[in-house]
Amino acid sequence: MKSLSKYIAKRLLQMVITLFVLSTLIFLLFRLVPGDPVSMYLDAGMSAEAKEMLMKQFGLDKPLWEQYVIFISNLLKGEFGISFQYGKQALAVIGDSFWNTLILMAVSLFIAFTIGIVGGAILAWKRGTRLELAGIIGVLTIRCAPVFWLGMILLSFFAFRYQLLPLGGMNTPGTNFETVYAKYFNLDFLKHLILPAITAGLSAAATPLLVMRTSMLEVIKEDFIELTKAKGLSDREILFKHALRNALLPVVTVFAVQAGLAIGGVVLVETVFRWPGMGRGIVLAVAARDYPVAQAAFFLIGAMTIMFNLIADILYAFLDPRVSLD
Amino acid sequence: MSRDNILLKIDDLKLYYHTTAGYVRAVDGVSLNVAVGERLGLVGESGCGKTTLMKAILRLLPANCRQMGGEMYYKGKAISSLSEKEIKKMRWQEISMIPQSAMNALDPVYRIGAQIKEAMKTHQKGISSKEIQERAANIFELVGINPKRLRDYPHQFSGGMKQRAAIAMALVLDPNLIIADEPTTALDVIVQAQILERINALQQRYSGSLIMITHDISVIAQTCEKVAVMYAGKIMEYGKVRDVLNNPLHPYTLGLKNAFPSLLGEKKSLISIPGSPPDLIKPQPGCLFAPRCPFAIAVCQTEDPPAKEEDGRIVACHRLAEMEGLKVLAEDETIWERKVHAGD
Repeated sequence: MKSLSKYIAKRLLQMVITLFVLSTLIFLLFRLVPGDPVSMYLDAGMSAEAKEMLMKQFGLDKPLWEQYVIFISNLLKGEFGISFQYGKQALAVIGDSFWNTLILMAVSLFIAFTIGIVGGAILAWKRGTRLELAGIIGVLTIRCAPVFWLGMILLSFFAFRYQLLPLGGMNTPGTNFETVYAKYFNLDFLKHLILPAITAGLSAAATPLLVMRTSMLEVIKEDFIELTKAKGLSDREILFKHALRNALLPVVTVFAVQAGLAIGGVVLVETVFRWPGMGRGIVLAVAARDYPVAQAAFFLIGAMTIMFNLIADILYAFLDPRVSLD
Repeated sequence: MSRDNILLKIDDLKLYYHTTAGYVRAVDGVSLNVAVGERLGLVGESGCGKTTLMKAILRLLPANCRQMGGEMYYKGKAISSLSEKEIKKMRWQEISMIPQSAMNALDPVYRIGAQIKEAMKTHQKGISSKEIQERAANIFELVGINPKRLRDYPHQFSGGMKQRAAIAMALVLDPNLIIADEPTTALDVIVQAQILERINALQQRYSGSLIMITHDISVIAQTCEKVAVMYAGKIMEYGKVRDVLNNPLHPYTLGLKNAFPSLLGEKKSLISIPGSPPDLIKPQPGCLFAPRCPFAIAVCQTEDPPAKEEDGRIVACHRLAEMEGLKVLAEDETIWERKVHAGD
C-alpha cells in the first residue's frame, strides 16, 4: 500500500496544477463576458465621478495583468476578494451552500451508480427477456426527460398528493441548529434530501447502467467466466464475484466523466426543490457580474469535479491490479 | 476392457447448435469410451466438434446447443439427468479441464493463488486455510512455479506460466478425469515442448484419466494411449495410438499423417488434404469425407459408412477391406491433387 499513498500524493500535486490552470481560465472567462459589474448599480442619476469611484473601489480600474496578480495572490491566501453585491468575503457569501451542494451531489451520484451497477448487471444477466427490454426503455425515458420535469413529477406525487415528504428546502423552516453536526445529521434533513437526491440520481443513472450492461455482456463471454463455471461455482458467485468486478472497470471511467456533468443537473434540481445550494448563487452572481463570488463558486465546483476524478482513479487502481501506480 | 472399468461412456451423442440458418450438426452420433486411468487423444481439424463434445461433458454448452440424441454416462450415470446441484458438485471435483487458451482463462483481477484456492474452497468445505495454502503451494511446485508467485496476478505471468498455472488448477482437486482442450496451441514450439514434457511427467503422479483435444497428431503421440480421429462431428477412426499412427485404416487419417512432417523418418513432401470440411447445416448424404477423399466410390456418395470394430479398433469406411492397397496409393502425391513441400 506504500505505492498507493505515493500515487495519491502524486495525484494531489497534479490536482494543484490543474486548479491553477482552472483559476486562470475562470479569471479570464468572466472578463471576456460583455457588461461590467458597475453597470448593475447604474441608475440614471449616477455621475461619472461616482462611477469611477465604484470602479476604483472594486479594483477594476487597474490593468488586467495587475488584477490577475491580485486575484492569484488572494487565491494563495485562500481568499477570493470582496463580493461586489454584498460587501462581504466571497467565500462567506457562498458559505454553507457549498457543503449543501456537495452533499446533494455525492448522494445523488451514489444513487445513480448503485442503480446503474446493480441494474446493468441484472439486465445483462437477463439478456433477451422482457425485463431487459422494460428496463432499457425505463432508464432511457428517465434519461430523456428534463431533470426539472422529473423533479416536479416526483414532487407532485410524493410531496403534494401523498404528503410523504417535504415540498422543498433543506430543513423545516424555523428550526435552529446549535452545531454544524446537528444541522446535517438529523431525520428532518434526510427527509428533505430524499426527493432531490433521487431526482438527480435517477436522471444520471442511465449512463452507468447502459455502460455496465454492455460491459457485463462482454465479460460474461470471456473464457475465464466459463472456467469459473467449470470449477463448479454457482451462478451468483460467478455474477457477483467474477463478472461484476471485471465489468465495473469501464463504469468507474464513466464515474469520472459523470461527476463533472452531474453538477449541471444538480443546479437545476436545487432550483426545483429550493435546495440552498450553490446553483442559485452562481446564477445570481453571474447575472450581477459579481466576479469574486462567481470566481469562487466556479473554483469550488472545479475542485469538486477534480476530487471526484481523483476518487475514480484511486478506485480504478483498487479494482484492477493491471493499473500501474508508478 | 471390462464394463466396470469405464469411467466415461459416450453413446451415439448428437449435439446440434440451433441457428437461424438451421441446425449445425457439431457432434453427430459419436460413441467413445474412456476407461479409468486411460489417456485418450481426440484429434481433428478446427470446427470438427472436438470442443463442443468436451464442453458437453461438463454441461458448459450455450443454451442454443441442444442434445438431439444419445447420452453420456459418467460412472454409469447419465450426465443430462443430473440436477444443477449434482453437476456443480461433479465439476472440477470429478472432472476438471485445462482450457484452450490459458491467456484468457484466468480472471485478471484476482491473484492466481486465490483462483486456485477458490476451487478447493468451493468443493471441500471445512478445509483449513493452512491446508489450502499448503496444497496450493505443492501444486505450484509440481508444475514448476515458485509458490511465492501464487500472490501474483495473471498479467504478471508469461504465456507458458499461465498455462502451467491452469494445469495446476486442473490438478488441485485430484479429479478422475481431466479434459485438456488444446493446451499448447497458443504457445510457441519451445514452450509447447516444455508444457508437453510437464504433462508427461505429471502423468507419473496423476493416476486419473485424460482426454487430450488437439489438431496436432504429434501431441497425441507424446501423451496418449488411445486416439479418436474426428471429422465433421463424427469419429472416423479409433484405436491405440501406435496402431492408428503406424497403420492408419481410414483415408482421412492417411491424409492427416501425410500432412505432418516426420522428424526421424525419411524426408518426403508434405501432402495436404484438398478442400475444406463440409457444411454441417445441410450435410450431403453418404460419407462426409467423400468429397475430399481420393478413394471415394459410388457407395460413399449415398450411404453413411458403418463403424466397424475389430480388436478394439473402430473404422468408419466403406473401403476398409481394400485399405492395404489404398495405403500404397495414398503415398503418391498426385492422388491428393495438391501438395506442399516440407520446409517451403
